[in-house]
Amino acid sequence: MLRATDVSRSFGDERVLRELSIGVEAGEVVAVIGPSGVGKTTLLRLLALGLEPDEGTVTVDGTDAWGLDDAERLSVRRRIGMVFQEASLFDASLVRNVEYGLRVRRSWADRLRSELHSVLRSNGTPGAVREALDVVGLADRMAQHAGSLSGGEAQRVSFARALAYDPDVLLLDEPTSDLDPRNTAVIEGAISEARSRGIGVVVATHDMHQAERVADRVGVLLGDSIAEIAPTDVIFENPTDERTRKFISGELVY
Amino acid sequence: MSVPLESAPHLLAALVDLPFREGYVSSIVYVSLYVSVIAVTLSTLVSIPVAIAMGFRDFRGKQFVKSVINTGMGFPSVVVGLAVLFLVSNQGPLGPLELVFTKQAMIISQFVLATPPITAISLAAIAGVDETVRDAARTLGGTRLDVALVVLKEARYGIATAILAGFGRAISEVGSVLIVGGNITSADGVSKTRTLTTAIQLEARQGQYETAMILGGVLLVLVLAVNAIVVRLGDQGVGR
Repeated sequence: MLRATDVSRSFGDERVLRELSIGVEAGEVVAVIGPSGVGKTTLLRLLALGLEPDEGTVTVDGTDAWGLDDAERLSVRRRIGMVFQEASLFDASLVRNVEYGLRVRRSWADRLRSELHSVLRSNGTPGAVREALDVVGLADRMAQHAGSLSGGEAQRVSFARALAYDPDVLLLDEPTSDLDPRNTAVIEGAISEARSRGIGVVVATHDMHQAERVADRVGVLLGDSIAEIAPTDVIFENPTDERTRKFISGELVY
Repeated sequence: MSVPLESAPHLLAALVDLPFREGYVSSIVYVSLYVSVIAVTLSTLVSIPVAIAMGFRDFRGKQFVKSVINTGMGFPSVVVGLAVLFLVSNQGPLGPLELVFTKQAMIISQFVLATPPITAISLAAIAGVDETVRDAARTLGGTRLDVALVVLKEARYGIATAILAGFGRAISEVGSVLIVGGNITSADGVSKTRTLTTAIQLEARQGQYETAMILGGVLLVLVLAVNAIVVRLGDQGVGR
């Protein structure tokens, strides 16, 4: 569904990714593991169409996204959701945060009308917003202001915000690296829920155990390229690549 | 200026008597507000787009533009007044419009004075919005306009502060409005280009301390009221 093929990307003189290929299908969770400082975030930004590769292609259902004009690429981009390591919520209520993705997809006339409505009287919360908040266990607190949440709760809202507009693909960049075990469990549950809805998920993580728990396939990013990508049990029990084996066993220290 | 304590009863008497010709104070307040509000509105309309453009992209000479704006915050107002006076004088490029000693000329000079602080403080507020918030708006499907609106909304307190600072500078400014406006009242004592500040300056120079202090009180109340209104509007925005 979403696929990067032979992508390379440099920043200045520093080549972060070199001829790397990875893809995700509907209803599949792919984990990208690798030490801190390799280009996991860069890879996700390429997949999110927020960054253009120097070489190679990023395709959505076979269409080269960077061959499209801006308007066409926007509509392709809108099928992808991304959650960052930091929650980065807007200074507004949970509802306003989670409905943002739905709001920007509506026409300006429509948006203006619903803004006026919400000033005059409280209009109902869209079902998708309630559902998304329900997945992360915060549906009962949706009127609260984002500033009143703990870090873990904020990250859960951030996940719900990307889930609410029902993307085809979700990209998660270290979504639980700052979280306690309980909030981590909620996010991992939400990942499973997304998969069962047929969403393709790519999760970048430095937590190998998390990759083992949530992923169908695992790609090991070492240096500037994928050393090996294979089903989860193969990567963890029987990797073919020597560097992957060393990384998994902890011998390869960066 | 020092006002002896014995003048306190006089001050009270002045408040009760209001020994002003009819319409004197109200016309001065009107001129002050008219000139400052229009100047600050125009400044805001120019400053915010400039601040957004500068906050959102890097270009050659950006640092230079920034330092020009920052220098503008410290422009001596009398120099601005002098420059605007040359601009609108008979021999100046805007001479044919006959703007000398008019409210329009005062608006021009206050616009010049208010724009740099509004731009600079707005820019700081916009640049202070976390990059991750922009990223979030973009990855959630926002267009460039959507992202800009999110940033504006996140920066709303800073922008409100910027507009207040501009308004504060405009309404409390003496030098340039005195030069380009002329501190004129018509024969019946109604202000044409006399503002609270220039009136205070004149009354104090003539030894009318009570009048000057009353006008000073009016000016303070005005500035406080505008601040209170803006802060209140900002607070209402939080729940949204």
